[in-house]
Amino acid sequence: MREEQKTPAANIAEFFGVNRPTSRRGFLKLSAATAVAIYGANILAGSGAKAANGMYILENAKGVLVSDPTRCVGCRRCELACTEYNDGKASPTVSRIKVARNLNYGPQGVQFGFQRGEGKYGNFLVIQDMCKQCPHPVPCATACPNDAIEVKGPVNARVVNTEKCVGCKVCQRACPWDMMCFDEEIGKATKCTLCDGHPQCVEVCPTGSLRFVPWRDLTKENRTRQPGMLMFNDGCKGCH
Amino acid sequence: MATYGGWTGKTLRVNLTTGKITAEDTFKKYKDYLGGTGLAYKVLWDEVPIGTRAHDEANKIIFGVGPLAGTGAPCNSRTAVTTIWPCGYPDIYVATGHFGGHWAAELKYAGWDSVIIEGKAPHPVWLCIEDDKVEIRDARRLWGNGIYRTTAEINAEMGPEAQVAAIGQAGENLVANSAIITGYSHSGGGSVMGSKNLKAIGVRGTGSVKIAADKKEWKKLIQYALTLAGSNNQHVVPAEPQPWAEYYDPGSRWTGGIGVFWGAANPPLETGACDPHDMQSLGLRCQKGIKDFGREFGEKHTVRMGGCHACPIRCHAQMDYPPLEEKYGYSRYAANTCLGWSAGSSVFMSFSGPDRLIKQSEAKLLGKHLNDDYGIWDNYGLMEKMFQYAYEKGILKRILPEAEYKSIPWDLYESGDPAFLLDFYRRIAYREGVLGKGLGDPADKTIEEWGFAEDFFKKTKWKYWKMGHPYHHSTEDSAQIGALINMQYNRDSQNHSHTNLQNSGLPIEVVKRICAKVFGSPDAIDAKGKWTPMNKYKAKAAKWASIRKELHDSLSLCNWMYPWVTSPLKERNYEGDTALEAKYFSLATGIKMTEEELDLVAERIFNLHRCLTILEMNTRDMRNKHDIAPDWVFEDGGEPFTPGSNRLTREDIELAKDLFYQECGWTREGLPTRATLERLGLGYAADRLEKAGLLG
Repeated sequence: MREEQKTPAANIAEFFGVNRPTSRRGFLKLSAATAVAIYGANILAGSGAKAANGMYILENAKGVLVSDPTRCVGCRRCELACTEYNDGKASPTVSRIKVARNLNYGPQGVQFGFQRGEGKYGNFLVIQDMCKQCPHPVPCATACPNDAIEVKGPVNARVVNTEKCVGCKVCQRACPWDMMCFDEEIGKATKCTLCDGHPQCVEVCPTGSLRFVPWRDLTKENRTRQPGMLMFNDGCKGCH
Repeated sequence: MATYGGWTGKTLRVNLTTGKITAEDTFKKYKDYLGGTGLAYKVLWDEVPIGTRAHDEANKIIFGVGPLAGTGAPCNSRTAVTTIWPCGYPDIYVATGHFGGHWAAELKYAGWDSVIIEGKAPHPVWLCIEDDKVEIRDARRLWGNGIYRTTAEINAEMGPEAQVAAIGQAGENLVANSAIITGYSHSGGGSVMGSKNLKAIGVRGTGSVKIAADKKEWKKLIQYALTLAGSNNQHVVPAEPQPWAEYYDPGSRWTGGIGVFWGAANPPLETGACDPHDMQSLGLRCQKGIKDFGREFGEKHTVRMGGCHACPIRCHAQMDYPPLEEKYGYSRYAANTCLGWSAGSSVFMSFSGPDRLIKQSEAKLLGKHLNDDYGIWDNYGLMEKMFQYAYEKGILKRILPEAEYKSIPWDLYESGDPAFLLDFYRRIAYREGVLGKGLGDPADKTIEEWGFAEDFFKKTKWKYWKMGHPYHHSTEDSAQIGALINMQYNRDSQNHSHTNLQNSGLPIEVVKRICAKVFGSPDAIDAKGKWTPMNKYKAKAAKWASIRKELHDSLSLCNWMYPWVTSPLKERNYEGDTALEAKYFSLATGIKMTEEELDLVAERIFNLHRCLTILEMNTRDMRNKHDIAPDWVFEDGGEPFTPGSNRLTREDIELAKDLFYQECGWTREGLPTRATLERLGLGYAADRLEKAGLLG
């Protein structure tokens, strides 16, 4: 089958089941996720009409978070502000800015020669991961089978509408930067809302490492953490 | 069951002998003791027989974490490691070590308030905590490895986000002066883990810590609190003049400033003026590399500042020094703070030659790697002092077998070559020979066996305080207050409540004015080096400092930062807020407590430690057997109470004890009375002391 003839469903199945290198433990987790993926894929396959109606073309965001890792000291007060000031609890897992996962060894994780890598156990560089507020096609919003990821003013952040979210986690797989979060305690996905234009993480950063700037497209210049939707997005004609 | 914020509600108990893993109700058993040391003292009181030795299977080691760990309350994520402390001799008593890092917060996110370890595994194991899934895993393949590799291996298994606290070869080999380390943060007590065949505890938590109060109210409190923070040790004025600052003090750890850099950052980063109103420079005001290595070397090689979870005041200098790799085969990147650095350089008597500062800095950096990888704890500097003393007095030549003496690279030592440390620390970690065993053993054992003379206890420079431990912010820091605090514990005091106040950097008139409000009189504090005789307000301050230390160790706040009596804010007349702990606690947990009410809980914890020590020592004469100061306090230095002299008189210290005991509600022997214990909700302790004939 030639690449462009693949159905989105086949692409997604391949992405979840085949293309992704896994450890044994990772595979067990993935098996459960595959079931969800196929469910999600069917909806996506059937959503072409919707796409033809232009429902997935989301207006660009007006702002985006950027960081200067040189200044980051790894205190994680940004993660705390994100969840304490928005959700009333401290939870790095739910935090929409991600520092903890890069803190010890950098984005590459534990590697041979880790002492020359990044992070606290390497050269001390701490990389902060933030939502890119992607332009169309927005991977998380496109993947969501319930259209639960919507644009919200005043800064046009892509936000999860918790009324619509059913907690299927397809969006988590879709984001190439692994920036979708899931709050197990409420069973809903969540993501960076830019705090309606006053990002708490930026306000609390004790070294000025984070900034909220006018939006520009960061999706082409940042390392991805997982293949995400980029792997099976076969151009505009897949949807239009 | 009532639910609270802050705590997770579950305490983990792991029996390594049986492999049984249980969850206990934190509130039911330990709420009145908060967590941390409070919880741990209660466990030891209830469960560990008096007379248990540190390495006995019956000893327990408690990784105590409190309700504020994992929250956004600034400077939390400290773990109090409490156990029957291995460094005493001939008898050993309860004590606590403390590590920072991100471990405590991770434990809370995993859903656990504290971890109680008991028994002894049949073979080396490590404990894997992944949320509510807790497993004892085989560590035979890890045994024998240093802490660096152990940590990485466990991270490879659990994922890079896991926080790992591990022991090295020193802990495995039951070296008393050994450490438990997580991310370059230390606690002592490594050999207790080693004796239980427990190599490490890895923690990964994906849950949350709830804040009971409304999120807006919590945010308001945190924002307010952060305006009151100083630099490391709550030094509230900068070290050099800054445009915003009315005062400065060269001794301050507020070392960030205009023209001060993280020189090895790429590109180099200027810390800037660090105006206390600028919340985005909080993390820049402590340039600890300068403090630990001197301006030139420190500034040039600092990559950034690191530290613990949720703490905006970064006290770990993260250094890049390529020759470490080229010359010694260790990573060029090294991070630590204070004694973590000075351990290596203070092994040497001195450094000479034009490159002496380089040699000294290299010794710090290399010493850090060796200590942190082998997991050696230098007894807050006493280990090196003992080595220096034994060398200087010719003791080593006398007591070491000739072959062993000759095998030591003395040429490297005498030329101040840091490479000497490669040999030196290996001997300690593996208990090699008389030297290695002696330096790793409890100090008093070695002092006895090596035959140290009386003069060792008569000079401040050898650092010895009591019970095999050195002084730690004692008379040189706060005269009688420092002395009283150094008497209270069964190890070096690890208390900073008083030194944070004494060394705030503010002019003494300002500090005295603030102390008048807090302690009832400006006489509670003296200008440094201009000490005055003892008075009751100093006793009040000493008691307050002691109970606040326990409060911090139980809530999981950093006593290296709190309490905040002073602040950097001129508009507040430099006043801090001593009620911050109570405010955090009330909002986070939902249990409303005033400062006084929470201090009462702290006093309960402090007294439980006292009762435990009394039972262990089995003496009514705590005054003369436990609460002691070394001879140098009374004999070293100029005339007492003359400017520049830290010397005190014996009569004055006896008066200090009297006044302190009165404040604490203890008898002249230093024993808590029944009335005191019942006031603190410790009637059961009074009963037990009475039965043993030890009640005041």
